[in-house]
Parts: sequence; structure tokens; C-alpha cells
Amino acid sequence: MPAAHRDPVAGDTSVTTNDQLLQSEAADREAKLILRARDFWGALVLLALSVFFLWGTSYIPLWGENRAGVRGGDWYNSAALVPLGIFVAMLVLSLVLLRISVREGGAERALSAVGIGWNRAEALRFSTLAVILFFYIAGLVPRVDFILCSGLLITALIYGYHGGQAARMLLAAATVGVAGLYAMALNLPRAQWAQHDDDWLALAFWIALTAWGLWRERGSRLARIIPVIAVLAPTLLVCAMAFGFRQNVPNRGGLIFKQIEYHYYVTLKPIWSGK
Amino acid sequence: MDFVLSKLSGFGSAFTALVVDPLTYVYLVTSVFLGITFGALPGLTATLAVTILTGFFGNKIPLDYSMIALLGAYVGAIYGGSYPSILLNIPGTAASAATAMDGHPLAKAGRGGEALGLTTTASFIGTLIGTVALLIFVWVLLLISKNIASPEKALLALFGILLSGTLMSEDLVIKGWIAGLIGLAMAMVGMDPLLSEPRYTFGWSYMLSGFQFVPVLMGAFAVPQIIEGMRHVQVGKMVALQGRILPNLSAVRRHMPTITRSGVIGTGVGALPGVGEDVAGWVSYGVGKTVSKDGKNFGKGSLEGLLSSETANNACIGGALIPLLVLGIPGSPPAAALMGAFKINNVIPGPTIDPAIILRVVAIMVLASFTMWILGLLTARVFIKILRIPQTVFLPVVMVLTAIGSFSVGGGINDLYLMLGVGFVAYFMNLMKYPIAPLVIGVILGGLFDETFRRALFLSDGSLGVFVSRPGAAVLLALNVALIAAQIPMIRRPFQRRDRKEA
Repeated sequence: MPAAHRDPVAGDTSVTTNDQLLQSEAADREAKLILRARDFWGALVLLALSVFFLWGTSYIPLWGENRAGVRGGDWYNSAALVPLGIFVAMLVLSLVLLRISVREGGAERALSAVGIGWNRAEALRFSTLAVILFFYIAGLVPRVDFILCSGLLITALIYGYHGGQAARMLLAAATVGVAGLYAMALNLPRAQWAQHDDDWLALAFWIALTAWGLWRERGSRLARIIPVIAVLAPTLLVCAMAFGFRQNVPNRGGLIFKQIEYHYYVTLKPIWSGK
Repeated sequence: MDFVLSKLSGFGSAFTALVVDPLTYVYLVTSVFLGITFGALPGLTATLAVTILTGFFGNKIPLDYSMIALLGAYVGAIYGGSYPSILLNIPGTAASAATAMDGHPLAKAGRGGEALGLTTTASFIGTLIGTVALLIFVWVLLLISKNIASPEKALLALFGILLSGTLMSEDLVIKGWIAGLIGLAMAMVGMDPLLSEPRYTFGWSYMLSGFQFVPVLMGAFAVPQIIEGMRHVQVGKMVALQGRILPNLSAVRRHMPTITRSGVIGTGVGALPGVGEDVAGWVSYGVGKTVSKDGKNFGKGSLEGLLSSETANNACIGGALIPLLVLGIPGSPPAAALMGAFKINNVIPGPTIDPAIILRVVAIMVLASFTMWILGLLTARVFIKILRIPQTVFLPVVMVLTAIGSFSVGGGINDLYLMLGVGFVAYFMNLMKYPIAPLVIGVILGGLFDETFRRALFLSDGSLGVFVSRPGAAVLLALNVALIAAQIPMIRRPFQRRDRKEA
């Protein structure tokens, strides 16, 4: 979250020298040029998408073709009418955006890394996060016990990103990535989602990452808090959702949740229902 | 007169029913507390608070309690953003960005307690002003909206998307429109509403029912926030809170003209489709600076400046609910999340909404504003402690909340894939300064636009004249055309030249 915006109406109240003002103007100009270079690529992507979806729209009957002997509607209530308008409008606007970006110098800078504002540290941060989130959602949540995979995620994210160190980000991404890749590679089809080998692997990775964090950050209060948050948060959430709101939760047959559910219904519930 | 009395008695009944139910207080206190916490933590927003609670409470508890939870969080979160603005000079939410301009200098001058106390009271009064406006105008508009047919609905939906795109764009206005078009395009996926023709499903049966609201909301608002927030940030130096928080009654009375003016401005801005609390805060701040005797001190620690933005952003809530309830067009991004909650409960906001629901919303808003006021004044120091939690610690928990909330709404694991996909797209859009609110509003209004636009043409046998022959439709068409024309350089240039000459 950036610091408070300066109100253009209020004006800057601090004493600003001309140099500072010039520097800030130059920085604003540079930021705008970077944005226009990105807009150049953005406009090309939008252009391609508009053309692709216009082609896709051409498969939806527009002029009331016959379908299985039944005459379709007229052009004005065709299912293609509104999408056609949307994608034509998007095509036009992307051409306008392309023109603006070319006119304001975006195209000239679009082919250089500096031109588009490439930042190596930021790229590493984003790509490791993307790996973690992708393998968490696509690999782990469907196949691994929710408490286990969420505990691993919380540990990896806090440990990996709290200090802003690249090595830790890579370790966090590798831990979640390997656990997720294993789950996807060995238990890809839905029929195999109930297997527990990936649960054990995720648990082992979680314990190992926690131990590594505790050892590396001896004496740090945060390192001691991470395991508490990683265990409590997903456990409370999944129990509240399953038993409080009686909703479906991911992977009910997971290693830990299966035991919790069994003991909730078989051991605990009879006690308070008096059976 | 009978009409007014019947509505007031209806409000009284709804209010009494809520007050005598003990569960109301459980949901109110919890949701307002959670809302203030979300607002106070830099990196979490009011929209995110309402979105995440929609995933959690949306369709799992009776609608009344669900509304208490979501409106309580909404009111709490908009107010909660003032804590970091005043004490850290970092706005907790976009809505409280203007608050930092005067709030932080006041705190640095040792008047933090006074600033927080007055902010809490002004937010409370602002919410009440918005709620009173909601109670009055919703009926007036409902009476008018009975005459609204398909052509007006289609043009109104388009106006909502265009206006949101125009006003929410930080960079070029066309980026806001493109975001709105992307939202509209997403709403086209699935079976079309009139002929049940499958569109863009690519043979995937999950896509036949179209994109679900909650995963799209979670993806658009939560995932980019999490990706953006997971970075090492040195927590700013917090100014120690000095002075008593409980406000002085005479000070409140002295600032009542500012509070009332800002409340009215906030409500008005909120009533514009798709324009949020941040715009309300800045507009009110700008007006305050122009009309206030203390205008020259705005930005240097003026209480009037602080109250101008803080009252307006809370008053905006009531205003934002007016188009939502009457027309089914969200007045702000958090109202878009509320719309998602209504829809998953099979309540369709718009001219056909059950009036009892509107009265309950008003009653909940009154109770939520009282709860916010009391919690704000009595537990401010708890929230100040919460400010110290780094975002790299709470955002991973938010990710887990988002995942389980999105999963449990109904679509299962496919909803999570959708959420992640939308999240990555929204992150890149943020990076290139495309506003996200028009996208979400496009997704929400896309179905309505498609259905009513084609229905209007169907009823007129394909004649486009239906959009100009009805007075309401003609006015809305003119507004849409004006909104687009105002951005075309060729049309703008003569006006700009004239303005320069006058200057």
C-alpha cells in the first residue's frame, strides 16, 4: 500500500526545492513511458483476444439459421449479437490504445527490458508467488488434506516473503512446487485424489520447512509464531466451515480431516446430543 | 402520508425484530470488529472484507444474518481505514486516502486521540445520513423504476459500466472501458439467457452455467491484493496516540455543518453507479477545501479536512445501496460483492425486490453504525495494536480464507481454478493501471445487459428506435453518448480551448 496520495487540489505543503521538483517530474515522465510500453504489449494482446473471440462468435448463429429443422431467432435476438458488439468494441478500443502507446513513445521502448520497466527482483517475487499459488490451488487443494496443504502454504509464504530475501522465496516456491507437482503427477485423475501418499509428502515438507525456519531464525519471535498460525488458522477455518456452517470442504477424505470428522461424529457429537 | 407512515412502521418492525434477536448482536459485533480489522490493516480493503465474508456467510446462514455480517463488515471496514491513515500516514483502504492528508499531521501534533474520536463520530453520523437517504430515495426511485422496461434497463446497465470505467480509471479512461468490456465478455460465457445457446464453453460442462460471482470477486479483489502485499515492507513509524478518544460534544456540534455537507456529498457520489468510497472521500475533501473557512489549512492538520473525507466515505455506503437495491446496479465495488451475496441467496435486487428486504437493510445499517461507533470509541486501542501485524503474516491466512470461501460457495474445485485465473489477470491489469471495479461490475451486469438489450429489440421487431422513442430510454441513451463523446479528443478540444480562454 503506497503512502498517502498527495492531493493535487491541496498542493504540496512541504518546502520543495526546484531540483526535487525536476527529479520528481522526470520520474513521473519515466513511469508514464514505462506504462505506455506496457500498454503497447497490452493492446496487442487485447487485439489478438478480440480477433480470436470474434472468430469464436462467428460459430454462434447470427442470422437465424435452422437447427434440427427448427428456425432460430432473428438477428436481433441472436445469442451472438451482444458478444459481437463487445468484441468489436474491444477491437476498436485496443486499436485506440495501440495508437496512444505508439504516439507517446511506448512502441520504441517496448522491445527493451529497461523500456518496459523490467525489475529482476520483482519478477522473481512474482514468479515464485505464481508457482506457489498455482501448485497450491491446482495441485494440492484438490488432492491433499486441506489442513496440511494450507499449513504448508502459510509456512512457505511467511518464511519466504517476510524478510524479502530471494533465496527464501526460491526455497518456499520449490517446497510448495515439488509437493504440488508430485500430487499432480502421481494422482492426476479425480479417481486418485483420495490417495494419501501426497498427504505424507506435504506433511514431511511442512515439518522440514518449519524446522529449517526455526533453526535458521533461532530466537526470532516470528519464527516461533509461524507454526502456531500454520496449524491453527486452517484447522479452525475448515472445522468452522464443515461443522459450523455444514458446508463442503476440499478433500474431505484427507489424512487429518478424515480423523477430525470421524471423531466429531462418532466420539464428540454423541456426548452433547446425549446418545 | 399513509405511504410514509407505512414505510416508517415497516422500518420500526424490522428494527424491533433485529433488536430483540440475540443472534443479531453476535453477528453485528463480530462482523463490525472483523470489518474494522480488515480496514485497519494496510493491504486489506473494504471490498476484500465484504468479498471474503460473502464466501463465508453468503449462502450458509439465513439471509438476514448474512446481510448483518456483510453490511457490518462493510461499515466497519470503511471506518477502519482511518486508523493507519491517522497513525501511520498509510491509508488502510483507498477510501481513507484523503484522511491521511490531515489525520497524520494532527496525530503528529499530539491530537491523535481527538482526531480518532471525531473521525469515529463523523463516520457514525455519515453512515446515518447515507442510511436516511437510502430510506427516503429508495422508495421514490422504486416508484419511478416501476416504469422502467427492457430498453431503460439495458441502457442503465451500460451507463453503470461506462461511468464506473470513466471515474475509476487512474490512467486512460479507455482502460476503464476495456476493463468493463472484459467483464461483459466474461458474463457472456455459458448458456445465453434467451435461447440457451452455449457460448465460449470450449466443451467444458462447468462453463455452461457461466462464471460464478464469488470466485470472480475473490479472484479480482483478493488474489492481486495478496500477490501485491507479499513483499517486505518496513512497518512505518507509528505516532503514539495522545489525548482522549471520547469526543467533546461541543466540538462535534461545532463541526456539524462540515459533517452534514460531507454526508450529503458522500451519499450523492455513492448513488452514482460503480463509483466508490475513495472518490466520495476526495470529492468531499475538494469541496471542503473550496468552501470551508479553514480551507487554507487543509493538508496541514485541519479537523475540517479530516471530517470532510471521513464522513463522506461512510455516507457513501448508504448511497451505494440505493442503485443496488432499486436497479440492481452496484453503487461501489463493495456493493458489487454484496450483490454477489444477494444473488447466491436467489434475491435479485432491482424493481421487483421485496420491500421488506430494503427495510431490513436500513435497520441493519442503523444498528451497524451504532456498533461501529461504540466499538470505535471503546476498543480503539485494540485496533491500534492490530496495526502492528505485518502484511506478510496475515495475507497467507487471507489466501487460505479465500480458497475455502470460494470452494464452499458451490462450484467446488473448478471455482478455485476460475478464481486463480481471474486473480492473475487482475494482477496484470493492476500492474498496467486498469481499474478492476468496472470488470466486476461488467461481470455482474453483463447478463442483465444481454437479456434486456435483446428483449428490447425483440419487442420492437428489431427496430433500434425503441431506444429513443421512450423518454427514459432517450435520456439514458443521451447520457451514454455524452459519456463516450466527452472522451473523444475532437469533441473535447473546443471545450478545452474555451475553458483556457475563460481562465
